[in-house]
Amino acid sequence: MDAARHLHNTGEIRGDYLEKVTGQAQFASDVVIPGMLHGRVLRSPLPHARIRSIDVSAALAMPGVVAVLTGADLAELSAGRNSHWGLYLRDRPLVAIDRVRYVGDPVAAVAALDEFTAEEALDAILVDYDPLPHVTDAREAMAPDAPLLHEKMDKIQNFYFRGGTNPVEGTNIFQHYQYAHGDVEAAFSRAHRVFEDSFRFPMVVHAAMEPHVVIADWREDSITLWSGAQSPTTVQKALSLLFGIDMAKIRVITPYVGGGFGGKSSVKIDPLVTALSWKAKRPVRVCLSVSESMLTCRRLSADIELKTAVDAGGKLLGKSVRVVMNGGAYADTGPAVAVKAAIRAIGPYHIPNLKLESYAVYTNTVPGAAFRSIGGPPAVWATESQMDVIADALQIDPVDFRLRNMLDKGGLVKPDLRPIDVDMPGMLRRGLAAMDEAGGNSRASGVAVAASDPGIHALGSALVRMKIDCSVLILTNTIELGQGAHGVLRAVASRVLGQPLARIKVATPDTDLAPYDWVTGASRSTVIMGLAVEEACAEISREVRQLAAELYGGEAAAYVLADGGVAGPNGFTSLLDLMVRANGIDSGEFVGLGRITPRYRNGDFSRMPLFWETAVGVGETEIDVETGEVRLTRYVSVADVGRVMNRKSAEGQDEGAAIQALGHTLYEELVYEDGQPLNASMIDYHVPAIDEAPREFHTVLIESGDGPGPGGARGMGEGAILPMAPVISNSLARQYGVRVRELPLTPERVWRAIREVQRDARRGK
Amino acid sequence: MLPRRFNLHRPDRIEDAVALLAEHGDDASPYAGGTELLIAMKARVLSYAHIVDLKGIAALRGVSARSDGGLIIGALTTHHELANHSLVLERLPAYALLSANVANIRVRAAGTLGGNLCFAEPHADPPAMLCALNAELVLAGPGGERRMLLAEFILGELSTARATGEVLVRIEVPGLPAGTRAGYRAFGHLERPAVGVAAVALPLGKGFDWRLRVGSICGRPTALAGLEKAMRGLPEADALAVLAEGAEQAAAAVEADDDIRGSAEYKRHLVGVLARRAARAALGMEALAA
Repeated sequence: MDAARHLHNTGEIRGDYLEKVTGQAQFASDVVIPGMLHGRVLRSPLPHARIRSIDVSAALAMPGVVAVLTGADLAELSAGRNSHWGLYLRDRPLVAIDRVRYVGDPVAAVAALDEFTAEEALDAILVDYDPLPHVTDAREAMAPDAPLLHEKMDKIQNFYFRGGTNPVEGTNIFQHYQYAHGDVEAAFSRAHRVFEDSFRFPMVVHAAMEPHVVIADWREDSITLWSGAQSPTTVQKALSLLFGIDMAKIRVITPYVGGGFGGKSSVKIDPLVTALSWKAKRPVRVCLSVSESMLTCRRLSADIELKTAVDAGGKLLGKSVRVVMNGGAYADTGPAVAVKAAIRAIGPYHIPNLKLESYAVYTNTVPGAAFRSIGGPPAVWATESQMDVIADALQIDPVDFRLRNMLDKGGLVKPDLRPIDVDMPGMLRRGLAAMDEAGGNSRASGVAVAASDPGIHALGSALVRMKIDCSVLILTNTIELGQGAHGVLRAVASRVLGQPLARIKVATPDTDLAPYDWVTGASRSTVIMGLAVEEACAEISREVRQLAAELYGGEAAAYVLADGGVAGPNGFTSLLDLMVRANGIDSGEFVGLGRITPRYRNGDFSRMPLFWETAVGVGETEIDVETGEVRLTRYVSVADVGRVMNRKSAEGQDEGAAIQALGHTLYEELVYEDGQPLNASMIDYHVPAIDEAPREFHTVLIESGDGPGPGGARGMGEGAILPMAPVISNSLARQYGVRVRELPLTPERVWRAIREVQRDARRGK
Repeated sequence: MLPRRFNLHRPDRIEDAVALLAEHGDDASPYAGGTELLIAMKARVLSYAHIVDLKGIAALRGVSARSDGGLIIGALTTHHELANHSLVLERLPAYALLSANVANIRVRAAGTLGGNLCFAEPHADPPAMLCALNAELVLAGPGGERRMLLAEFILGELSTARATGEVLVRIEVPGLPAGTRAGYRAFGHLERPAVGVAAVALPLGKGFDWRLRVGSICGRPTALAGLEKAMRGLPEADALAVLAEGAEQAAAAVEADDDIRGSAEYKRHLVGVLARRAARAALGMEALAA
């Protein structure tokens, strides 16, 4: 184990750092293609309307304008195919056809010789709208008389996620999920106490540093895309269906991506930009502004109702979870988010009687989409807040209350899921100890735990090519968006092939060259692509050693790959010499293919989840009682990641996830009024900055070595976003007696809650 | 989004800038740091056919001493320069600190005091304090220069007394009697302050002549006149007691609306909190910077 640790955790600086700090790294937004036009998108100013007419003649007449795409083009473009796309429901047209459903919905797109001309042409497009009644609140959208966003539910099965969605026809409900085990009603009736609590989680945006950007080059029988896409292969598949071009003739190239957080998962602006290229018959680049990215996708907001029964000894008897999620104008991956929100509200606890129900609902707002730990933050915020509410009412220490109910390793969160593979009680104790070691007081801190089931599809392959000089090229569609995935893959190849990291390169992801990978997301790359690279390298290693044994004698097992070649019973031979001896010239290469499918390890990889992504948060806060301002002062984040592949990257992922959570906890919310988003710009939407990070942040990474990935690694990077909101909320409750049930905990909300507590105290409550 | 196309003019003398602005009237805008203007132009909230870039005019830059102990601040002086200028640090340390806390380093490095005042976005730190300091402005127009009080210059949200064709040349802060104290406190959870309060205390008898000005909360800085009067001349402790007692009531009269920075009720509450803190900061009873 120590040897494995040494080999994995080399501490080597990641390959992309130097390129990025020197400005050499090429992002999708840097790519320039000969003959490329620039596209801009005209967006709906109204939350819900019929389009009576669109007049593009003045725009087309402007010098420099090459093409204008509108819904009127889709009949010709689609030529009998479906002009709508989606991930669960085919609910989104390539561009608005006769109707807009949210402020920001693409109505038309212009391709011009330069961006300024394209932008000016937008002003010249005349759209005549007939406003329709709108609804922006999910509960209002569920009412019988609510305006309907989509008249039909055109379902797709097994397209991106396994299975389909369960919409309610004739309503705005595009997903209704239900699950139960045991008898929750009986548990409520015999319980010592039953607690009912409601919590709200806001609409928040991904706020990646790089906005959405795509260059599309449509040709008669092929499409090439340079896209900041987290799932190039899904983009490829969606375009094939929309444009009637074979998948093998659709090429998606993904240079460095400036952050995704799920906001570039599945499919986003790629179909629209490709349609504009089709119309213009030229390559077209569309690079959104940050504000436009905010109008492209966001996290689903949620109302969570929990009803939880406990016995007199503080044991959980039963729990019912009801989640209503605001899914926005188009379903995207919202159906999966709603399911996960319900499941992730269970927590790492033994709950003998359980009922889950969740809804995802269409509203006239920005489409909801995947976002770092889908459904997780709302679910954990509610459950871990309520755990403290119950502990407080029962006068049990909140940590003791958790430990009384916490599953040990091997325990079942939900019977159809893989047993929990992490020692959660141990992790919690490590977190508390780390807080005390850091000079804090764990007994007075806010505490929260989380266990989430990553929705990983075990489907991904890698090609590895080792040259005669022992340099190594990895071909993968796992993208590098700052998380360090390519660094991890290099470390895996380095270990298996015995070559120094400096000689190992990951090629820019390109669907023409690299084999299929499902998505870079769901904390899956280290495990799935890590194993694929490991398998591919192992194939090369076998082949080299067999060849050496044939040519130099002895057993293949007696040879090991070493820096520059292979070492065996008769000493070291360079790969070059081996190749000359084998092939007669100093040329050629070794190629290995690694394939991970659900059938991997005798089908074990078909069992969900592949591993549990867990987190413990322990935090101390300060509050300005007069203004209501909350500050996180010291924070401990614990995760059992199985194996640390690169400590800097791993700690960066952990810190980044936690600080991103500080946003939805204290500052961030996309606010709607009269159907209009009030703050869809970085001026009025505040993402936490370094000044707001805690003075002390301690990441504790546990290496139990028993994950499914290379060296026993688990995935990571989405766990630490989960406990932050309840940690801060529980800390406020513990220190100040204040319980706020709506995020973000703005100073005003906290101030009002403090005032309430003070009034109650004066009344002698 | 991108701004509409415009013609960029780069005069290097004030007279030329004035002539350009006078010639193009409402089709032109002066351009200083651009931290407000360019954002509004990119969002297409504003558009001008002519942009007159003032950055090449050396006469609009720099800080110098007024003979009465006050300061002369060129309109194109950045917040960052003000935060670090030795004269400002010596004569108005509270204002230097305020400048050091404006927005973020990128805004401080590019954004100018003159641009800030002329754009008149209410959610800004400088106006309240400068009003409390009785700052005066010098504007140059086709008819020559004129001088006016900042408090009279700001008319409301995004609205000033600057006439078409006029350029703000400099801001003058009159000298203050020895023993004058100043403090500033602002608060907000988004990028811009929701409320800011400046307290300036000029020696008077056993106490001070207080100037308490509230910024950001509404279109123009507002004086807490009743409190100023009630605290006038009182010894420190008594003045603070009067302030503590009367702050909430005084705040109730301040114009405020519900918006994403908070409800009117909450922001008026902040006026009281920040007035107490600004006064205490002025008196050295808490750190000058929060």
